[in-house]
Amino acid sequence: MLKHNGPATVVAAAAIAAVIAAPASAKVEGDTIVLGSALSETGKYSTNGIHAKNGYDIAIDLINKTGGVKVGGKSYKMRVIYYDDESTPARGAQLAERLIRQDGVKYMLGPYSSGLTKAIAPVTEKYRIPMVEAEGASRSLFTKGYKYLFAVLSTSEQYLASAIQLAAEIADKAGKKRKDVKIAMAFENDPFSLDVRAGVLDDIKRLGMTVVIDDRLPRDLSDMTATLTKVRALKPDLLVVSGHSKGAATAARQIKELKIATPMIAMTHCESAKVVSKFGASVNGFLCPTQWAETLSYKGKYFGSAADFDKKFKATFSGYKTVPYQSAQAAAAVLVWKEAFERANSFDKEKVREAIASTEMTTFYGRIKFSKAGNNIAKPMVLRQIQDGKYVVVAPSKWASHKVQHPRKVQ
Amino acid sequence: MIGKRLELPGYALLAVFGVLAPLVFPAYVQQIAMLWIMIVFALTWDTMGGQMGYNSLGNIFFFGAGMYIAAVCQIWPWYDVGEYTDPSGSLTTSFTTDQYFLGLALGVVLAAVGSVVLAALFGLIVFGLRGPYFAIGTLGMAIAAGELIGAWDWIGGGGGIRLPVFPSGTDADPLFRVPFGDIHSADLQGVFFYWTCFVLAVLTFVFLRWLYRTRFGLMLNAIRDDETKAEALGVRTQLYKTVAWSISAFFLGISGALFGNIIGFMEPLEVAFPTVTFGIFMVLMALLGGKGTLWGPVIGATLFHIIKEVTWTHLLGWQWVVLGLLIVVTVVFFQQGIVGWLQERRPEWFGIEVDRGTAGQRADAEAAEALEAALEDTGGPAREPAR
Repeated sequence: MLKHNGPATVVAAAAIAAVIAAPASAKVEGDTIVLGSALSETGKYSTNGIHAKNGYDIAIDLINKTGGVKVGGKSYKMRVIYYDDESTPARGAQLAERLIRQDGVKYMLGPYSSGLTKAIAPVTEKYRIPMVEAEGASRSLFTKGYKYLFAVLSTSEQYLASAIQLAAEIADKAGKKRKDVKIAMAFENDPFSLDVRAGVLDDIKRLGMTVVIDDRLPRDLSDMTATLTKVRALKPDLLVVSGHSKGAATAARQIKELKIATPMIAMTHCESAKVVSKFGASVNGFLCPTQWAETLSYKGKYFGSAADFDKKFKATFSGYKTVPYQSAQAAAAVLVWKEAFERANSFDKEKVREAIASTEMTTFYGRIKFSKAGNNIAKPMVLRQIQDGKYVVVAPSKWASHKVQHPRKVQ
Repeated sequence: MIGKRLELPGYALLAVFGVLAPLVFPAYVQQIAMLWIMIVFALTWDTMGGQMGYNSLGNIFFFGAGMYIAAVCQIWPWYDVGEYTDPSGSLTTSFTTDQYFLGLALGVVLAAVGSVVLAALFGLIVFGLRGPYFAIGTLGMAIAAGELIGAWDWIGGGGGIRLPVFPSGTDADPLFRVPFGDIHSADLQGVFFYWTCFVLAVLTFVFLRWLYRTRFGLMLNAIRDDETKAEALGVRTQLYKTVAWSISAFFLGISGALFGNIIGFMEPLEVAFPTVTFGIFMVLMALLGGKGTLWGPVIGATLFHIIKEVTWTHLLGWQWVVLGLLIVVTVVFFQQGIVGWLQERRPEWFGIEVDRGTAGQRADAEAAEALEAALEDTGGPAREPAR
């Protein structure tokens, strides 16, 4: 009788077989530099995950077609190994480990969302693998002393700061007391949105305004009528919503359906949720913070101006009416890698890390210069308003091309 | 008997693989550590679903509870948890080696104890339910827990908790002076948690192997086979059910505490209480391997984990369809699982004696039929359930 031996042998043999079967590769293969990234290709962040991937791909393609990366007098192409993190941090951290340990990746691009970045940053830090990320904006990422994490985007407390400031200015002009300015807030219960909320609360407190609604919305948001019903009853002066693409789409849809008449509405992720093409005139007047806009006068060596990037992106990928900033900043992250390799003139990851840390470049995405903590301090967040179906910059005044329309016309 | 003679080498082979894996396959440490956790998932689910016939969809609750209990224990002795988890992240923290390991030890112990207490408490409520009502009731419990934790700001709400970082190898601490062979200091964390996961899986297995051979194991089977009859015979079913669930919770709580530290970041819905991933995987793995058997969950978990790790990332967008198919195929065509199927085909491998009496072929056929019926009823042989 083969009592217990059978099963035990099967388990051991299968485990050994699986371990031996997987291939291993290196960080620079022949004339190709291999980067790695775990991105959300499925799950609740997949919309933005794909936007980010398109951004990485368009920049990689441009670099490969225009001479590649020059290191030590030789030209190298770039390639990215992508894994699908299924929009869950647990998977993201495991895949980062896999990219580094099994695929031998020495240079990482970031995932989408603050939550995933929070899960992956400890892994890259542990192995001292530099990661240039473009989609994790949470402030708490940059207070942990991470040395190998660099972010090209502005941190999350800046997202809605201009909108709150604007509400205060409008109240002042109308001769209304600031504490009578009523603000309704609806934030998704996820790391990014909660961080945005913390920033908004600070601003509201500083400006002395009043919060009348402070709702947490579930993930993968498909209904927020409860909040909007309260909004109808309490008539706030400003409604603030943040919940990634899905949240923005749900909010825009239900604001239209329930004919919410709030004079000022600010929400994140308007562009990536494609609210204009989905909900038409009903979204006119929405205030949308953005990391980047194609109308800004940024200009750089690689894609030309912001408008040039916009044009090229739309020509490369179909279905985009407005290019989401998620794609633009992803492309910028790839440019940071390219410049860093060339300035380091080496593939040594410590030297490349130094080169990234000393980055100072002007791109179509704006200026990039990292603080000691690793966040980009050279680029502002801008606030856009949807006017007649177009996104126009209304704040801060240095970049504003249009005057803000207030109150918003309810259609 | 050959079986007895080969039993020891079989276990020895597995033990050698388990102990040496991080040295031989350093790149795969985390994946193999996950395998041990998956095995714990399947084994503890099977205690309920296989041995006792209570199909819990909410066992993942104890995984998440253990993870959160451990995280809080690792932080509060040294920092204010509310400040530590504040979304603006203004608090800078650093843990000394002693603080880290003390917190971790405390966390693991309290995660286990806390999960047992929770199991006993919730057992009072859910064990009034049977069949599909029990399954849905426990599922609801796990989902509600995720949402409640998500609304609790003190422990980070939906923003989650970042766990203390494993002390770096440069510390002048005796732990890091221990020669770890070729292991780079960055891998210490991986290797440390690998071995804790391995020990956990071994303890779970050995404990359940012993448990299923005791009177207690028979009581669980009695509850599965006919709870009303068992009760009528004087079996204190509520007590047995609660203790069985507490045992599951004990090991699951520890697995949660370890998993949280392996990943380094937790938040309620996707990491701590992932009902639709780990919560379903544990059921599927036990079914795939053969529920109600000792080895079934182990084999099911191993196969599933390997299939998942090898194919998952190449199935972009289709992995959930494949998972769905796997569930349907297992449930519809392969209910008894791998070990269940083997038991039916080769009962003698499992020490099941098929009575070949003097009545010749008729008795033979009858015996086979009876055995088959018994297997179908119970998902395993009635007499010796733990082989």
